[in-house]
Amino acid sequence: MTKYEFQVEMTCEGCSGAISRILSKQEGVKFEIDLPKKLVWIESDKDSDFLLEVLKKSGKKVTYNGTK
Amino acid sequence: MTQEVSLRSVSLGVVGMTCNSCVQSIEQHIGSLSGVIHIKVSLEQRNATIIFDSNRQSPESLSEAIEDMGFDSSLSESIP
Repeated sequence: MTKYEFQVEMTCEGCSGAISRILSKQEGVKFEIDLPKKLVWIESDKDSDFLLEVLKKSGKKVTYNGTK
Repeated sequence: MTQEVSLRSVSLGVVGMTCNSCVQSIEQHIGSLSGVIHIKVSLEQRNATIIFDSNRQSPESLSEAIEDMGFDSSLSESIP
């Protein structure tokens, strides 16, 4: 499993709730969300491009920060 | 050449929005889908009113698009 860090433009609990609902639908994904820092950590065997596409479905601005 | 456009309006329930940035991201994302003419999202009423071309979208496909964004969406009523 690799741990990836993403920066996601989340401004409230509704935003982070939306992200966590999207990620919960994915299989083989463990995640942690830090709302104040606007960071999402994802542990998964999938590659970063795939996870980036999943996060982008939220319609928010997402950037990939690299592995942790 | 004229294209057949058949407009419909639908009101979808949206659960999980808590602030204006949620509202805006839904309006921007759904508003950019093909066949969507106009969208108005209300935070207070927890719904989205969408005017769309029924040849290219359906209430079901729009509801699915909102669910993909991470919000719970329900078909409440549709005005033909």
